[in-house]
Amino acid sequence: MSENTTLEIRDLHVSVEGREILRGVNLTVRQGEVHALMGPNGSGKSTLAGVIMGRPGYVITGGDVLLDGESILRLTPDKRARLGLFLAFQYPVEVPGVSVVNFLRSAYNAVKNTDGDDENRMPALAFRKLMKEKMAMVGVDDDMVRRYVNQGFSGGEKKRMETLQLAVLEPAIAILDETDSGLDIDALKAVAAGINQLSGPNLGLLLITHYQRILDYVTPDHVHVLMGGRIVRSGGPDLARELEAKGYEGLRAELGIEAEGDEAEPERATT
Amino acid sequence: MADTLTTTSGFSRASLPAPTGQPAFVTALRERALEAFEALPVPSPETEEWRYTDLTGFELDFQPFAEGGGPEAVNRHGLLAAAGVSGERAGLQIQRNSEVISTQLGATATEPGVILSDLDEAASKHPDLVERYLHSLVPADRSRFTALHAAFRTGGTFVYVPKDVRLELPLQTLTYLDADGAAVFPHTVLVAEEGAEVTFIDRFASPDLDRALSNAIIEIHAGPNSKVRYVCLQEWGHGVTHLSVQRAHVDRDAEVRTLVVTLGASLSRSEAETVLEGDRGTSEMLGMYFGDGDQHFDHRSIQDHIGNETASDLLYKGALRDSSRAVYTGTVIIEKDAHRVDAYQTNRNVLLSDRAKADSVPNLEILTNDPVRCGHAASVGPVDENALFYLQSRGIPHAEAERLIVYGFFREVLDRIALAEVREGLERAIEAELEG
Ligand SMILES: Nc1ncnc2c1ncn2[C@@H]1O[C@H](COP(=O)(O)OP(=O)(O)OP(=O)(O)O)[C@@H](O)[C@H]1O
Ligand SMILES: [Mg+2]
Repeated sequence: MSENTTLEIRDLHVSVEGREILRGVNLTVRQGEVHALMGPNGSGKSTLAGVIMGRPGYVITGGDVLLDGESILRLTPDKRARLGLFLAFQYPVEVPGVSVVNFLRSAYNAVKNTDGDDENRMPALAFRKLMKEKMAMVGVDDDMVRRYVNQGFSGGEKKRMETLQLAVLEPAIAILDETDSGLDIDALKAVAAGINQLSGPNLGLLLITHYQRILDYVTPDHVHVLMGGRIVRSGGPDLARELEAKGYEGLRAELGIEAEGDEAEPERATT
Repeated sequence: MADTLTTTSGFSRASLPAPTGQPAFVTALRERALEAFEALPVPSPETEEWRYTDLTGFELDFQPFAEGGGPEAVNRHGLLAAAGVSGERAGLQIQRNSEVISTQLGATATEPGVILSDLDEAASKHPDLVERYLHSLVPADRSRFTALHAAFRTGGTFVYVPKDVRLELPLQTLTYLDADGAAVFPHTVLVAEEGAEVTFIDRFASPDLDRALSNAIIEIHAGPNSKVRYVCLQEWGHGVTHLSVQRAHVDRDAEVRTLVVTLGASLSRSEAETVLEGDRGTSEMLGMYFGDGDQHFDHRSIQDHIGNETASDLLYKGALRDSSRAVYTGTVIIEKDAHRVDAYQTNRNVLLSDRAKADSVPNLEILTNDPVRCGHAASVGPVDENALFYLQSRGIPHAEAERLIVYGFFREVLDRIALAEVREGLERAIEAELEG
């Protein structure tokens, strides 16, 4: 990994089931920077996150995603992770029968021990110590890490678990897809505090969010708005506040963009 | 030209086990069974029961008997290791080929009346007891194969636990087969009297062979208020055809937990049935299978509820690699006069290759008008793509991610296996299967 890893999304076009979702996205996130990505439901934020991480099912019809100048689009998701990318899922996946501890140990060893030499795997005891530290940081208790990955976890617990994984794996660039959604006030504080501690010169963050609230804890350097498959507006922290005030409808009117598809739907009330 | 009679020529009146030393009821049973065998048709794939396993072309040209080699064979063939015993045992019996060659009842099972014995020996020593139970749950004429079994069986295990005797440690039989071309007829009769508690492990193991037949019957009698755990570990080598029928009868307030593990044999058909006759009887039926190469597994189950407030819960899980094949057919029967019954049945299959195939066929026969709590679930599919992506997104390579997921898939069954030693042994077996 280089000193200053850079993720660059270049004129990215992506289709899902024959429908073009992303229509030329440009965005650069450097290690140490905090970017917020906002946008209406269905505008393609998770699609963008998925494409960056290598989720199957997308057709990339144009553009590129580069890490330190090298295209990563042909790499498997695990290779991307080992290059320093991380995605906190909007909908974390249940993995029945696999305990959080075992999962994280496998992940840690895969990410930190990229030569794949078993000899260099972190001993169980040392790993437990590291886990303890990170668990305290994001407010996850022993009981939870002994359970099976996300199985029977509440929405909030799942988000905490994503944050724990971020803390343990220490990526260079992390995309957090609505990690602040579905959290109660205390949990939001805990998760935000965790993210805050992690952010710094070694971490580049792309925070996908619908809310100003998280940005009160983690101040973004840049805020971007994704609408109609493109980033239609970028600015400083003020842009998030401005959006909160006038809504996407207001921005649409201002930019003279026609509403289309499910972008016109109101925000889910559950978030 | 060969006709159907010559193909079964290994099994004739002349080759029946010698009647010397065996009680009259056994001799008579063999005679009757031989007649039934000759009269019964080869199971046809036209019938529902044999739809998925076609044995019409299956030649029965096996040796009806193969020697065990006496007690010395235990060490000579490393059979203690083959028994896979890593914990303490209340008793261990070893059968090699057609003969029981060693029976040891440990110091913890010295309560008067506990029996762990060669079935033939038990038939001589306790004829009344054995006659009452042998083939009482699985009658000789149930099918052509059970008839063949009843006629030609030698060896086998008789377990008897008297009233209120609780054996803490498990009893076990290893049936080991290394005679190529032989047929063996493992038979376990397990009787737990009122209030008794017992755990029994049947393990079947062999090296890879060209061709052999294992035709097994397991009969479990759980008396009132008894607790029985029965574990069947089928780890035959390649080349073996394994046909087994296991049936448990559950008396009032009794609890029977069975575990069927199918890892070995080229073709393995395993029928497991529980009859909940007494009120408040409960049954847990677990199953695990892992197929590779061109293995063919046919699992069938019956949960038959006769008594009131009876409860049964079945969970079978299997993984299939290469071009292996599995079918599960499960039937829940709630009889007419059964009230307040709980019955659950779940079968899940994960396919690890495009060529692997599995079918899951659940059936419900509810004959009562009483409301029953009854559920069944079945699934067949590849490894969950979302889970794979999730693990991979954390840096875990595809192959390892798949291993973790499949291992986790079996956790649900493993977590329900009370016997740590059995559970750990299976964990190692699954790991080995996953390593390929
Ligand atoms: N696998 C898929 N199959 C079909 N349609 C999909 C798939 N993935 C995404 N889409 C569609 O692509 C569009 C963008 O979805 P995406 O999840 O990226 O939106 P989002 O901006 O993350 O929305 P939200 O704020 O609700 O999370 C939606 O219309 C969605 O229905
Ligand atoms: Mg989304």
